[in-house]
Amino acid sequence: MTQYAAHSTPHSVLVGVCYTRPNLQQVEKPLTESNPAIETHDLVKNYDKVEALCGIDLSVGVGEMFALLGPNGAGKTTLFSILATLRKPTGGSAKVLGRDVVHERPAVRRHMGIVFQEPALEQKLSVRDNLLLMGLFYGLGIKAGRARTADILENLGLTDIAARQTQKLSGGQKRRLELARSMVPNPDILFLDEATLGLDVDARRNFWAQVRQFVRSGRTVFFTTHYMEEAEVADRIALIDKGRIIALGTPQELKQRIGGGVILLTTEDDARAFAWLTEQGYKPEKSERGILLVSAEPAAVLPKLLTTMPVKPLRAEVHEPSLEDVFLTLTGKTLDGGEANPAKPAFTIGAAP
Amino acid sequence: MRGLLAVIALDLKRLWSDRVRLIVGLIQPLLYLFVLGSGLGANSRMGGGKYLAYIYPGVLGLSLLFTSVFAAMLIVFDRQVGFLKAILVAPVPRPAIAIGKILSGALQALVPAVVLLVFLPLLGIHPGLLRFLGLLCAMTVAAVTFSALGVATAARFKSTTVFPIIGNAVLLPMFFLSGALYPLANVPHWLKILAHFDPVAYAVDLMRGALLGTLFFPLWLSIGVLAGFIVVLTWLATRVFASGEDA
Repeated sequence: MTQYAAHSTPHSVLVGVCYTRPNLQQVEKPLTESNPAIETHDLVKNYDKVEALCGIDLSVGVGEMFALLGPNGAGKTTLFSILATLRKPTGGSAKVLGRDVVHERPAVRRHMGIVFQEPALEQKLSVRDNLLLMGLFYGLGIKAGRARTADILENLGLTDIAARQTQKLSGGQKRRLELARSMVPNPDILFLDEATLGLDVDARRNFWAQVRQFVRSGRTVFFTTHYMEEAEVADRIALIDKGRIIALGTPQELKQRIGGGVILLTTEDDARAFAWLTEQGYKPEKSERGILLVSAEPAAVLPKLLTTMPVKPLRAEVHEPSLEDVFLTLTGKTLDGGEANPAKPAFTIGAAP
Repeated sequence: MRGLLAVIALDLKRLWSDRVRLIVGLIQPLLYLFVLGSGLGANSRMGGGKYLAYIYPGVLGLSLLFTSVFAAMLIVFDRQVGFLKAILVAPVPRPAIAIGKILSGALQALVPAVVLLVFLPLLGIHPGLLRFLGLLCAMTVAAVTFSALGVATAARFKSTTVFPIIGNAVLLPMFFLSGALYPLANVPHWLKILAHFDPVAYAVDLMRGALLGTLFFPLWLSIGVLAGFIVVLTWLATRVFASGEDA
């Protein structure tokens, strides 16, 4: 049980749960910090003639909070499903906690918790029964299952609604129950697939507070999202598009890749302004908000633009680059999948297209 | 073993929490017996009472067939809403998921069928203890076969709309072909040949043999065919569950 030493930080309220774990995994090779939590090599997945993943190389460290950010259809859910042992890759390899996701599936499954995009709860059962029954699937007997359920309910603040039928819960409560369900195996790694989709801001904030508590106990979180503000909480982010990782780094590193700042312009005639900026040697990008211009020194460039541009400016903003800007600059489209500019992206990072 | 029990416990707990499904499941076989039996019996040359006794194993078969196959529809629903994924990512061996689903479907079908046994004396049937136990064994084999058929089929479906349509289109001919409502000995030769490919025919014959002592197929053949069906269908269901979302 030495592998759980990392969990016992003073910050963690989930620590109490850790030591009630059954000894199923004692015969397995131990999890060590030297093993990455997730490791993929040249991972490929094809659906008939469609290439969903085109050679993903990824390494996520133990204790890391890692986000996979990309638009719909980018390959997020396919990669997620392979790591969660629900799909087999067409080529390449993937390991979770040092175990192969194809050949050592039971071992991987014993150590992971998952929150899916779709509800994975029995709506007619109570909150408590949902967790108790899931405990049976992880080898917990009735007594151990009750103890684990009580711990999880308490830690996630669900004790008051433990007897309530699941279908009578609010959207936010249901998501917290999903998170509670994922904690039943006392996982070393937590996978979240668009886990907060459709939740209001408060419910999302609450959900992520619980997830952060999990990370503070030294364990790993791998999540997919297309909310960039959610991805910002990650230690590192991989931007994925068309089945390829196009950029990888901390949120700050990713933003620094595209320069010092972003100028957002709206004018009386954006098309004309766009053409003029291009003629002047700038590299503007079109977005729903107006024209985006990445600049190393936006404070110096903006006054010059406003005085020389042949089109009347209506609004000008300078802001730090967001992940959305990074994605837009790298792919020429927005995270919700809209085409921002039919021209080639200004530059690309990562695997060649 | 724990995984298998987990699958069964989950399904039975869900059934218990769905009282409408539970009550309809208990009433339906009684309707089959009294409405179908009385209606057809009044027009039978055997006479109402004798015909009711004849079709009794057929009604048991009808109840077991439809209840166990449609119990498997929960798998389609779970796949559609995403609940099945929570089960598939659990460290439970895939054969345990398939067998657990088959046994839970069989149990769900056996309970209302056992309720039907209470009405045996009213039909003038008084089997001895051995015949009664034989009937229970035959019912169990039939329920497991039908449930395996339901699980192996449902595991491949992704739409709760399509599964019942296909189910009815396949199950009703299987039932009518089985000799549940008329003796197979009197049907045309081509129908007899077709009946040899129908697991419902073997199951009904086994139950009729246990209850009334008359068999159409040799006993060894019925048991062999049904056991073969169970093994093959369980293997097919296991394969689908092992494929996860690639299925």
